[in-house]
Amino acid sequence: MGRVDVLNGNKAAAWGAKLARADLMAAYPITPQTPLVEYLASFVADGVIDADLVEVESEHSALSVLQGGVLAGARTFTGTSSQGLALMYEPYIRTSTMRLPIVMALVTREVISPQTVWGGQQDAVTVRDAGWIQIWCESSQEILDSIVQAYKIAENKDVLLPVNVCYDGFSLSHMAERVEIPDQEQVDQFLPKPNISHVKLDPNNPIAVDPLTPGPMLTEFRHKQVTAMNVSKKIIEEVRQEWLEMFGRDYGGLIDQYRMEDAEIALVCLGSPAGTARVAIDEMRNHGIKVGMIRIRVLRPFPDEEILKALVNIKAIGVIDRNVSFAKGMGISFLELKTVFGGLKMPPMIDFIGGLGGSDVTMEQIKQAIVITQHVSEGGEFQEVTWFGLDQIDVETLFTMDKDISLKLKGVSG
Amino acid sequence: MGVNDGIRDNTNYSTIPEGARPTLEKNDAFFTKKRFGFIFNEEKKTKEVYKEITKVQDLLSPGNSACLGCHAELALRTTLRILGPNTILAIPPGCMGGIGAVGFNGGAGAKIPVFFPLLDNTAAMLAGIKRKYIREGRGDINVVAFAGDGGTADAGFQSLSGAAERGENIIYICYDNEAYMNTGVQRSGTTPKWSWTQTTPVGEQTQGKSQKGKDMPMIMAQHNIPYVATANPSYMHDYIAKLKKAMKVKNGMSYIHLYSGCPTGWKFPTEKTIEVGKLAVETNLYPLWEYEDGKFRLTHEVLKRRPISEYSKSMQKYSHLTEQNLAELQQNVDANYKRFKKLCKI
Repeated sequence: MGRVDVLNGNKAAAWGAKLARADLMAAYPITPQTPLVEYLASFVADGVIDADLVEVESEHSALSVLQGGVLAGARTFTGTSSQGLALMYEPYIRTSTMRLPIVMALVTREVISPQTVWGGQQDAVTVRDAGWIQIWCESSQEILDSIVQAYKIAENKDVLLPVNVCYDGFSLSHMAERVEIPDQEQVDQFLPKPNISHVKLDPNNPIAVDPLTPGPMLTEFRHKQVTAMNVSKKIIEEVRQEWLEMFGRDYGGLIDQYRMEDAEIALVCLGSPAGTARVAIDEMRNHGIKVGMIRIRVLRPFPDEEILKALVNIKAIGVIDRNVSFAKGMGISFLELKTVFGGLKMPPMIDFIGGLGGSDVTMEQIKQAIVITQHVSEGGEFQEVTWFGLDQIDVETLFTMDKDISLKLKGVSG
Repeated sequence: MGVNDGIRDNTNYSTIPEGARPTLEKNDAFFTKKRFGFIFNEEKKTKEVYKEITKVQDLLSPGNSACLGCHAELALRTTLRILGPNTILAIPPGCMGGIGAVGFNGGAGAKIPVFFPLLDNTAAMLAGIKRKYIREGRGDINVVAFAGDGGTADAGFQSLSGAAERGENIIYICYDNEAYMNTGVQRSGTTPKWSWTQTTPVGEQTQGKSQKGKDMPMIMAQHNIPYVATANPSYMHDYIAKLKKAMKVKNGMSYIHLYSGCPTGWKFPTEKTIEVGKLAVETNLYPLWEYEDGKFRLTHEVLKRRPISEYSKSMQKYSHLTEQNLAELQQNVDANYKRFKKLCKI
């Protein structure tokens, strides 16, 4: 029944690729993904995995080697971060438009400038419309499990799209914790050998791949791509169920809910802040604030129906974003969430931007977010977007407006 | 005859000095038995080679969209005949992409698996294909690039250099027509000094490209890969022998740099392609050599070098050159050749 080890996020990802029996890997080291490449190299050196690991000269070539590999029938794996993803952008887009089921760990990081090598989510959210499925993780265990699941989703004949398994740089990539490593035999049972035949370069069956495509055909092609992305929602849920039955672990499918059953206000998170939020929610519940959390586990396709269903009776929503959009100076999760409600009446929503450039989203900040969201749910006013660490959150003034909450705040501080 | 006869012309001639005409005429007696007996030996070999290759299947569709007199199309057709059907072909964006890969009718130009890589990832994609097939025990499949100079020496160079260094077992053929021809004649890294192109025009202040072109085959030889060669479709027997050698390499990359005369971009009469190609070799501008086991070897001895002016005057892209320019060009060619001969004796 597998074994237990202490793994950081990167090593968990390497184990995921090993258990999925990826036989062609290519990667170029970049912080904070670098240990992932080193673990893969040591796995190959020790004969733990039987795969070609191509030590390429750049991320552009890393993904290009994999494209070639898939076109010859390989199951492939790579990982990158930040500037590496930026350099990879050209083949990155093409991976999804060629419908190549490649799985790639995306160890999220800030993008320069200013010069930075630390965590953030800006790289991944910037490419969210490049046609890749994006699964966001919260723990090493989830990283390992999601990588194996990702192949099953990507290679499904109704999907055939590449998958990014995203995990926050350093907060998850370098954080070690208890992980159950499943048996290879059991994973083999869950994930059969790849049979990628929809597009293959083989002299036994010569075809031309990715020819010049005129507008009407391209439109049809793009429509099919969008349809496949929508279909993947169902497949992601099916794979979740199957994994749960076989391995007894579950992270939610498209969204992960925490204490939402009787929640009156909700936090919405993406990636690593969710872990801190769980503890903060437990504490605030002790002070009588009925708060729950929705972790967006899949950012693409965007789980709008699931989110709407979960938030339908919520009085106010606080969103934690480790990223920004230049649309209106708000975070991506916040921006995406706004589209969920469409013409429906939307509960008040507040965006909290923090954790940029490797800074922490602290317990105190999340508690502040919860208290402010509670305040807004009771009719209190507040600015739409708050930047942790920059905006003066005038808690004193805020809470003198509302006696009850002021008391609750005292409870928080005390 | 007019210089543009038969040439599909979408370029702007205003940058070419008026009155400039190629000097190669139909009755040019350059390739006559009287003057150069050895050329008849070459022609004999060429005839034999064509006789041989017409016995094998032509894997390139007839009626493709190549320009009249295209050297690269001739090379591609022959290349596929030699490689045979057990081949996967990559043609990055460029002239041959629209010919060997696919047009709007949905049919393929080549009768083997063919695809467009990106302009800059040909070698990496091929490496992935070859590696997987080697793992599957099908390492005998020829995995081949047929790329222009831009996709090779410029945008594609990083990926090519990386693949060469890693010893990827692919065949990389660069057809060098010395500019971005498919987009309408813009300078590339291999465009030679003083060449007219749309982006290195001839005007009051400039006389074509002011820098020398990259010596790609020599750069690839410096990667110390198992096999590097220059070739020229005007010497088809020589090219075929080299391609056959490249196909036998199992321990790394083989690279062939193909001279590729371009009537459209260089502006010479379409029926002169073979002769222009021969002039490039017979003037020592483009020596035919191979690099194998760490050694350089000339594969075609030029018995009596022709002056470079015969080459430059055969096309309009050099029609602005002065006598002084030509003297310098001659000096460069001779110096390069002398240096190369020394390399061959190492």
